[in-house]
Amino acid sequence: MMNKTSLIAIALLVFMGFFPLFVDSAWLAVGTTFLVFAVVALSQDIILGRAGVFHMGHALFFGLGAYTTAILNVNFGLPILATWVPAVLVPMLVAFIMVAPIIHLRGDYLLVATIGFNIIFIQVLENDVFGLTGGPNGLFGIDVVRVLGYDFSSQTHMYYMAFILLGITLFIMRNLDKSKFGRAMFYIHKDEIAAQSMGINVRYFKLYAFILGAGIAGAAGSMFSVQYSAVSPEAFNVTQSIMFFTIVLVGGSASLPGVLIGTFIMFVLPEMFREFETARYLVFGIAMILTMILRPRGIWPVRFGNIPDFLKKGVK
Amino acid sequence: MSEYLLEISHVSKYFQGLVAINDLSMKVKKGQIYGIIGPNGAGKTTLFNCITGIYRPEIGQILWKGKDIKGISPHKIAELGILRTFQTIRLFSEMSVAENIMSGRHIKSKQRWYNGVIPTPAYYKDEKANWKKVGELMDFFHLSEFATTPAGDLSYGIQRRIEMARALAAEPELLILDEPAAGLNEHETLELTQTIRKIQAMGVTIMMIEHDMEMVMSLCEYITVINFGAKISEGVPSFIQDDPVVIEAYIGSDEDDDNE
Ligand SMILES: Nc1ncnc2c1ncn2[C@@H]1O[C@H](COP(=O)(O)OP(=O)(O)O)[C@@H](O)[C@H]1O
Ligand SMILES: [Mg+2]
Repeated sequence: MMNKTSLIAIALLVFMGFFPLFVDSAWLAVGTTFLVFAVVALSQDIILGRAGVFHMGHALFFGLGAYTTAILNVNFGLPILATWVPAVLVPMLVAFIMVAPIIHLRGDYLLVATIGFNIIFIQVLENDVFGLTGGPNGLFGIDVVRVLGYDFSSQTHMYYMAFILLGITLFIMRNLDKSKFGRAMFYIHKDEIAAQSMGINVRYFKLYAFILGAGIAGAAGSMFSVQYSAVSPEAFNVTQSIMFFTIVLVGGSASLPGVLIGTFIMFVLPEMFREFETARYLVFGIAMILTMILRPRGIWPVRFGNIPDFLKKGVK
Repeated sequence: MSEYLLEISHVSKYFQGLVAINDLSMKVKKGQIYGIIGPNGAGKTTLFNCITGIYRPEIGQILWKGKDIKGISPHKIAELGILRTFQTIRLFSEMSVAENIMSGRHIKSKQRWYNGVIPTPAYYKDEKANWKKVGELMDFFHLSEFATTPAGDLSYGIQRRIEMARALAAEPELLILDEPAAGLNEHETLELTQTIRKIQAMGVTIMMIEHDMEMVMSLCEYITVINFGAKISEGVPSFIQDDPVVIEAYIGSDEDDDNE
């Protein structure tokens, strides 16, 4: 049986699948950026929307993935394919080391701490601390993906790689939401004391959310660096983190369609109104404020109650 | 091992200058329904918070099957088989009734760390078994018709049932109920009394705080009376009912049963 949401989802997937056939290269690039940023926003949503942790440093993990690929490829000559696993694992490891000591902090304190980490990250990149990051200019000349002598170098290739990454991400999030792990995050989010009293190890599941979110953001970062064949610090600063944070809240915490809508509004709509120059940002600022006032749970809020059908037979 | 499931021995808990619990001791036998009564502010809820790891008492021992569990974190207490409800209901109010009860299955679920990302055959089996258990509990507590309703949208009496179902879903050895009848009407209280008897019949030991004296006296096999954090009396219901010290404490305290 098919409900309305899955029909919309399938229509959207089909549309996005054929999107490259209808558009010019500029729009194709916008499409790719949408896909990559959607993955980052979804991974932010694991931490913020599910576990309910006020994390405002997500661009750090996105950037770690991007720089891992860039450094391994530009400085050490590794093929892009070989950088994918490290681009996921490095952010996961850093997330663990960074967050484990602060995970017990209350929401507002943790928020400030994550911003602090993001600022330090940018400082490290700009000061070229290990002579690897290329300083404020970043790194250039990142290779394309090559498999068995075949180059995936066109914009269309990039688009479909990002498309597959988004597909994998949505698959993971759907599994998460239907598992003990996703539910534990929700319980912690809704009432930490009640969750603990039901035997949920709050620290473990918050860390789980962070590490999973960091890994997915890292994969998106790797793709981002290849798309632009360059990385530089400002793409991963606190302003970007605020963007990802905002996308989740505007779109709808823990809502897959909500976060996709949020990404569309924040990254694709501005491209559509290019002729309005900077005035368009004024519109978005106002849109953000209005959403929070009129729809505080987001444009497409999460709906709970996704339980097996056999439990619904008594429902009137 | 002793014949007692839970032994609280000389426990004291302070909040800044305030002595919330003062040198309290009690012993709960397996299979018992144990009552704790006393005026408001006597320290009853604080005692439950000490047992369930929310607070760490400064002094004393809390022995679970002979082992000291004082200061252990709440999730580990739950894993040991001690589950509770709250005086001020704490449900995951935006989530459906079924999802609320499913939280009780958390410690029973055998899903592995990677099942948060990829499903496996064992995962499907585990998931199905746990939802089935949720279905049984919804039947037991007459909640099936609300399976998909957000818990926060339901009446007080129903929410109390969801909280008990959630705790019971974890298959506890000791069920701790903090004023389970508060806010219930007469009919609901009667139903609750029967439910608690059925839970006892399943082999679950029960500790309860309750102001409804009729219910306490009919259900509990043994009762401890607390006032100002200290034990003022203990014994079987017939003894407590006539104990002048207890009567004195209740008259002297302007006891008001209708506290929220
Ligand atoms: N977290 C806390 N911080 C400070 N004082 C507390 C705290 N919890 C309870 N108390 C105090 O401890 C005393 C006992 O409270 P409580 O255990 O809730 O009483 P009861 O459940 O018997 O009505 C009260 O005076 C209450 O104000
Ligand atoms: Mg109380």
